[in-house]
Amino acid sequence: MPLTMPEEILLLMLDDESGRLQERAAPSGDYAVAGAVLAELALAGRIDTDPGRLYVVDPTPTGDALQDRALAQIAAAAETGDSRHWIETLAVDADEYRDALFGRLVEKGILRRVEGRFLWVFPERRYPMVSDKEEREVKARIVGVLFHDDIPDPRDSLLIGLCRAAGLFSLILASSEVDRVQARIDAVADLEELNRSLADAIREIYAQIARYAPMI
Amino acid sequence: MEIVESTAAGVKVAALKGRLDTATAPAVEGRLLVMLEGGAKVVADLAEVHYVSSAGLRVLLKAAKQAKATSGRFAVASPQAPVREVLEISGFDKILSIHATRDAAVAGLG
Repeated sequence: MPLTMPEEILLLMLDDESGRLQERAAPSGDYAVAGAVLAELALAGRIDTDPGRLYVVDPTPTGDALQDRALAQIAAAAETGDSRHWIETLAVDADEYRDALFGRLVEKGILRRVEGRFLWVFPERRYPMVSDKEEREVKARIVGVLFHDDIPDPRDSLLIGLCRAAGLFSLILASSEVDRVQARIDAVADLEELNRSLADAIREIYAQIARYAPMI
Repeated sequence: MEIVESTAAGVKVAALKGRLDTATAPAVEGRLLVMLEGGAKVVADLAEVHYVSSAGLRVLLKAAKQAKATSGRFAVASPQAPVREVLEISGFDKILSIHATRDAAVAGLG
């Protein structure tokens, strides 16, 4: 069964050998996971967006527990919000989403769970990779879109926007390649409103970090 | 969503009327893809479309992708100001052939 976008993005955010999340993805990784859940709901025809709002068009459960949890939350909201509102709202529960996604990737035999101690004291759970086939396939798909001039599939556009949001391209590509395809990354990602909202939300995170960093 | 098909100078025209969103996207996509069969030239006339959502935009992108794959041609005609704005914000104007009028779109594909 193919991976869902939340599973794919989490896999890409993981340091394959250590089984820890890449530090590079840290500030924006929660938003990327939330965005991935919304992206799947959009492609499943459950939600739709425009520059001003994100709305439920079909509350029927998808059968995916994580997506259905988000769908129910959006459907139950008293007021409609835009995509950015929902990215930020769902990201509050990113730890729970991530734990569930790690569990699925372990069940699928892609990761294994290792319980250990960080600095000999703090309990730590890591997820080293067992099978890298799935991750290689995702990366190959992304590279294929970026280095060809074809019109991208919506799923690929959304995934590329999620990778941009989580700052993953410097891990997927050599820095010279990133420079070469940066304009293509932006053009493909910006086709999707969810990706543009995600980028706006993440810009705000970095603006806040820049604002408060001198005080720390 | 009402779709009225016609032909002008060897170009098939689909005049869409209503909202292009999740509810109407499958029908519009199906119709456009059938019209594009065999490498045809197709114009989607949006003069009477007053709302396009993200799902609606994906339909236009899929039509353009299909046209490219089958050596056909696809263009968008007469988007109203709010729809044109959405097309521009998302960069669709760099991928799709967008014309101010149906005649210009037909001439562009002819």
